[in-house]
Amino acid sequence: MSEISGLKKTNQVGNRAIDVARLNRLLAKGMLYFVAVGSVVILLSPIVWMLSTAIKTPSDVFAYPPMLIPEKPTFDNLAAQFSNGKVLRFMFNSAWVGVLTAIVSCGSAAGVAYALSRYKLIANQYILLFFMSAMAFPLPMMMISMYSIFVDLSLLNTYWSLVLGHTIVTMPVAVWILKNFFDQIPIEIEEAAFVDGASRFQIFIHVVLPMTRPGLAASAIYVFITSWNEMLFGLTFISDSEMRPLPSGISAMFLSDFQGDWQNLMAMATVVSIPVMLIFFLFQKSFLKGVTAGALKG
Amino acid sequence: MHDFRKSRLFYFALIAPAFGISALLIFYPLINGIRLSFTNSSPFQQVEQFIGLENYQYMVTDPLFWTMLKNTFFIVFTSTTIGAVAGYLLALLLNSGIKGLSFFRAAIFQVWVVPWIVVSILWGWLFSSFDFGIVNYLLEAFGFIDEPQNFLFNSRFSQWAVILAYAWRMIPFMMVISLAALQQVPTEVVEAAKIDGASYIRIQTAIVLPILRNILLVMYLLQIVKSLQELTMVFTLTGGGPVNSTMVISLYTYKTAFETWDFGLASAIGVIWLIGAVIFSFWFMRLSKGALT
Repeated sequence: MSEISGLKKTNQVGNRAIDVARLNRLLAKGMLYFVAVGSVVILLSPIVWMLSTAIKTPSDVFAYPPMLIPEKPTFDNLAAQFSNGKVLRFMFNSAWVGVLTAIVSCGSAAGVAYALSRYKLIANQYILLFFMSAMAFPLPMMMISMYSIFVDLSLLNTYWSLVLGHTIVTMPVAVWILKNFFDQIPIEIEEAAFVDGASRFQIFIHVVLPMTRPGLAASAIYVFITSWNEMLFGLTFISDSEMRPLPSGISAMFLSDFQGDWQNLMAMATVVSIPVMLIFFLFQKSFLKGVTAGALKG
Repeated sequence: MHDFRKSRLFYFALIAPAFGISALLIFYPLINGIRLSFTNSSPFQQVEQFIGLENYQYMVTDPLFWTMLKNTFFIVFTSTTIGAVAGYLLALLLNSGIKGLSFFRAAIFQVWVVPWIVVSILWGWLFSSFDFGIVNYLLEAFGFIDEPQNFLFNSRFSQWAVILAYAWRMIPFMMVISLAALQQVPTEVVEAAKIDGASYIRIQTAIVLPILRNILLVMYLLQIVKSLQELTMVFTLTGGGPVNSTMVISLYTYKTAFETWDFGLASAIGVIWLIGAVIFSFWFMRLSKGALT
């Protein structure tokens, strides 16, 4: 009898110990989620405040105390942006420049990346080093010579001055992302196509590039988002406000046109952010994969 | 069997487009910039003259140059350090086996997508000087300040407003890279240390950090180099002010080149920037190589 009760006792103690451990673990898990959700909320709060202001009426904007959810939500501010010819024009310019830059930058980067991945030359190291260090080169200084080049080629006030400018800014990263994708493609496939009589160029275009579609998508998204974000070239190489992309167009007019008109400024900021956020949201998987794959190998 | 190394022609064809663009718009502007720094080049100058080190001499006697260097160091290093530490801690948190990892990661990464021009306008609104400005309101509500502050027109606060924006904007990138690196750490090593009774802090500092050292250093270096180029916010929101407190090297070089139109002086500042970036990169590369051996 005493033996059995003793056994029971230890069992109970054991159970309680397990319960405490489980409870601790649960508590720790709960804390983790709490901190994770909290950090996301804090990080996203400026964006939330922007969205909230964008749908406020003027009286709600200047209400004290400030409120997160407007009393009378309105979509007038957002709608006003789409009937604003300037904003629409800037947006079209940005989109068009972004697409052209994505094609030029990824296209030329793909060639270099493939060459670096397939040829084992000593020069490759230096080419890669050049592209990586190009990110550190002082851009405003280089723009002085770019300015005179664009004058000579009569590219000032054209989309091409922006496309070329954005290309040199984005190409290093595009090369980096794409090289890692090419490295992952087994060379045997290309060799088989070569035996079948395809030329090296055909293999590159019809066999290799389709297989690196996720890499091309990742680098194209990176290039587009960076181009959409870039202000300096638009400010310097474009003086015709009709031709300016969003950042330079807005910065040229923002202080004068919108003094204190916060709901409209925030609506404009929202409209400017949504296209890139949407693109990222739709392609985030391949994008994050592409960016991190590059980082870990380099 | 066919060997890719055999066709040099194809190699040159592959690198030709990028090579052409880089030669014209990266290499030439860089070399020409170095040359211009020894001249009095300007669109208003009839003839370009070689003037030796005059630009450099003028530069070091200008107090604004030293203020600008100090601001650049302070703003870039402080924001990158805050961003890197916060990004790494977030990555640790998300890597601790919680569910919904991809949701959290995608939500945080949205911040990286927000264009700089939007950050500038948004910061103007967040730090609005009246009591309906949300930062002023919150600080008042928690009792940190008694009356609304004009943050962006106060040289002490404006630097921190800019630092906060830089750090905020780079946290997602830091987090994503750190997270991917953390996921590469072999679990057996960490498990073995746990069985040996090592504490969490000890495992992190003695095992995980040394493994990740290289990638974290490279990430930090890349971000420093990128932050040096950034000027949208200081251009549109603060204009380098108040009292030049947010004047950083990118804005200073740009304004000297395209507002004062002194190409020679701007190039001299650019050369200093280039030398600084090169020295810093080499030092960092040596640090990260040291971790390998």
